[in-house]
Amino acid sequence: MDDAKKYLSDRLLSEEVPVTYRLLSRVLNIRVNVAKQKLHEFHQSQNASKPDSIHATYLIYGSKTEHKQPETGDTDMDNSVPEPEPLSDYAPTKTVTIVAEENLKNALAEYEEVTSFHIYSLAPFPQRDLALLSDVSKSLSEYRKIEDAAKTLDTYGIIANPQARRKDRKGRPPVPAPAPSASAPKSVKQEVPPTLSKPTQPEKVKQETKEVSSAEATPSSSAGKKPPATLKRGASGGIMQSFAKAAAKPPKPKPEPKPKEEDTSMALSDDGEADDEDLPTSKSIDLEALKRTRKQREEELMRMMEDADDDIKEAKKEDEQSDEEMEEASEAEPEPEPEPEPQPKEEKEPSEMISNSGDGRRRGKRRVMKKKRILDDQGYMVTIQEAAWESFSEDEAPPPAATKPTPASTPAASSTQKSKKAAAPKSGSQGSIMSFFAKK
Amino acid sequence: MVKLEDVSNLLQAPAPSQKVPIRTDSTYKPLHSFALDKQRSYKQQYGDMYFLRLAKIKPTVEEVASKAWDGTEIGGELAKRVDRVLDVRQGELCWVAGTVYMDMRLKPNILEDVSKDRWLSAPISSQKYYSDDGSDQIMLEDDSGRVRLVGELLNSIPLVTGCIIAVMGTENTNGEFEVIDLKVPDLAPQPERWALSKAPSASGKSKSEDIDMTDSPSSNGGKKVAIVSGLSFSGTDASYDLELNLLLEYLLGEALGPDEQTSISQISRLIIAGDSISTTATKENDDEDDETKKRAQKKYGYDASAYNPLPSQLFDEFVAELLPSIPVTLLPGARDPANASYPQQPIHTAMFPLSRAYASDPGAASTSQPGWFDTVTNPWEAEIEGWRILGTGGQNVDDVFKYVESDDRLGMMEAMCRWRCCAPTAPDTLWSYPFQEDDPFVLKSCPHVYFVGCQPEFATKVIHGPDGQSVRLIAVPSFSKTKEFVLVDTETLEVTKIKIASR
Repeated sequence: MDDAKKYLSDRLLSEEVPVTYRLLSRVLNIRVNVAKQKLHEFHQSQNASKPDSIHATYLIYGSKTEHKQPETGDTDMDNSVPEPEPLSDYAPTKTVTIVAEENLKNALAEYEEVTSFHIYSLAPFPQRDLALLSDVSKSLSEYRKIEDAAKTLDTYGIIANPQARRKDRKGRPPVPAPAPSASAPKSVKQEVPPTLSKPTQPEKVKQETKEVSSAEATPSSSAGKKPPATLKRGASGGIMQSFAKAAAKPPKPKPEPKPKEEDTSMALSDDGEADDEDLPTSKSIDLEALKRTRKQREEELMRMMEDADDDIKEAKKEDEQSDEEMEEASEAEPEPEPEPEPQPKEEKEPSEMISNSGDGRRRGKRRVMKKKRILDDQGYMVTIQEAAWESFSEDEAPPPAATKPTPASTPAASSTQKSKKAAAPKSGSQGSIMSFFAKK
Repeated sequence: MVKLEDVSNLLQAPAPSQKVPIRTDSTYKPLHSFALDKQRSYKQQYGDMYFLRLAKIKPTVEEVASKAWDGTEIGGELAKRVDRVLDVRQGELCWVAGTVYMDMRLKPNILEDVSKDRWLSAPISSQKYYSDDGSDQIMLEDDSGRVRLVGELLNSIPLVTGCIIAVMGTENTNGEFEVIDLKVPDLAPQPERWALSKAPSASGKSKSEDIDMTDSPSSNGGKKVAIVSGLSFSGTDASYDLELNLLLEYLLGEALGPDEQTSISQISRLIIAGDSISTTATKENDDEDDETKKRAQKKYGYDASAYNPLPSQLFDEFVAELLPSIPVTLLPGARDPANASYPQQPIHTAMFPLSRAYASDPGAASTSQPGWFDTVTNPWEAEIEGWRILGTGGQNVDDVFKYVESDDRLGMMEAMCRWRCCAPTAPDTLWSYPFQEDDPFVLKSCPHVYFVGCQPEFATKVIHGPDGQSVRLIAVPSFSKTKEFVLVDTETLEVTKIKIASR
């Protein structure tokens, strides 16, 4: 009881800000109906001791007096224009009115029947602009906890619904609990879930060859090892920084949308998916990110756009150092993603088979990685890479290593390319806007 | 006329020790009539749609027409049925069925665009395609040919491109068809209530423990469904924030007294019919933007920094707060982040980082029960509490509205039901997916409730069909403009309008 009084006098008399019944109920953890009651009591007692010190707004609900034309009144109207048949049937109207104390009498006079009437808010000053009250309700979000929604309903006396069901998150951490390290861009790398495919990065292969012969044996257990490459890509472009907070959320069981967020080069690349499959980037914007002012991000983005070219260089450096971080990070948070990792195996096989070297030309088949897009059983589009044989003859240029770094060709090269890692996929995709159209 | 003294006793409500009401459950079965294949192709021609529509509706309209006109004699001549438009002979009294095509000066014309080498559709300049100088022509066409319709009768019956009708008359010397009478297919057969879902048995009701709390549903009215449209959550315009808050409090049962709260617990579902997010928000403030603009133009066409996530975030918060208490069905509208062409596909749940916890699991979507937070197509069909419901976000009516002189939106909705086509002007002026195998806009069965969102004002009426069908038509107003939403009683299909006012 006195909690309420204390809070109300603090807030109203000292801080001089309005209080709505909802706010009071959230603050004191009481039912809304009790809160309305408390507001009323406080209003009564305060104004009894000191008239006009507190001003209330009321919420009225009921049916208003219908504004029907008096049937006998305007007969002279009738003969000029025959009353058109009303287009709409009559439907009863109920009106919720929020009204300041000063206008209460007038507002009530418009009603024919009032079925509900209570205090909506109290304020230490006469409330001319009721829109101010919506600011109060904005502050309510602090008291909102998504997790125990059902309990909340009961606490505050909101109509409960036992049927409400949420989707099964399959053991993943539920909804966007703001990651502890959300502010650090590193968490991006840590949590961008791996995509299966697109080893456009030589170092991915390199890494795996280095550390994982076991991955070859049990490709399906490569979960822990696989992330680094993709993660890195996530970090490289610099643009990801802007999504840093965004991505700091539990991984989704959706592997395919991620490539879109990867970096600028990917955005330009041949990743031409239809609209439907595109996940808007806002998907990954969680509360944390939204709280940042838009302006800030705008500037950041602009800066990045301008420096896009410089970024490439920077990205290279960044990449190298983030390599290590990545490995640690992924160890720390293993991805529940039991996707098989076909790449390592391919190295064993010869990349080319020359079938005919007569007439001075080499002809044959070579092994290339082809992207294949399929719908998985969950209806997601997944891009996988498959090894395929492609016939060639020598007068064709060999496939540029940069665009299609087949695993077999890169291990040796990768050491020399090491400094170029990030640049490689970029340059590859730059010329390839046509492949966007050639897709599928 | 209520005086303060009369209601002040409501302020001292009895100590609210009673239990919180429990919301009634919602019997809900969405139909996926308008869902498109994810892998759809856009290469087809639109002509097939007209062909399909004619093929599907022509038999019905011919049946109606032959019932009405068989043996009709005018001036000693017997009205003869003609199979194709091309077979109409000059001077012979006959009747024929076909698709209406409106030739209007103000209507955008794709052929014109192509011939003038314009590859972007021009901005639609006029509110109406209709012009009252008499230059509009009405044609009847089928796969054989086209004939111009004339006659007094046409002035009284609104027609739009794409509806299927039968006309009786003669061809005059100008090669025009003088219409004497006109028939439409009229309402499709209406399914029984509970045709698809099972009615909750009475035993199940007594079993539920809350029966004595919601003691007499009759006194509070039966179950209800709330329909709201045009919430237009905006990043910049806060003028109706208070009303939005009150809407939320109303639906959650926080506002109002205990008695009303109990009756609000009878609202078993909220349907949001389009335009939930306002994108018109960014009114460029010219003063500070000069420099920003220059920079924005620098590299790429789309300026990502211009994207304002606030509206969708606010909407997400709104829905997320409702969801624990009430299931929500969300139709996209003209301004929502969904595809622009009819039928609009569900808004991706990625737009709702908070609410999507209640959405259906994408993997199991088709098989298991619909999501608690159900993002659906527009138009959309479902069975709620046994009633067949058809709803749209409003584009279909808005587009038909441009063809006709009147402002009678309910009349247009009625006409659509009687034409058996819920989007007749697709694909002519209403952007549409080029359907190939089936025209889903043809109404195979007549709904019990047909609501259309984002309309300028609230209106409702019941129309009746020849076989005892009756359809409740509801034009749902834009909440952001009118501060009104609609409750539909799911026993009587009576409609109540709720208005939120502040003063």
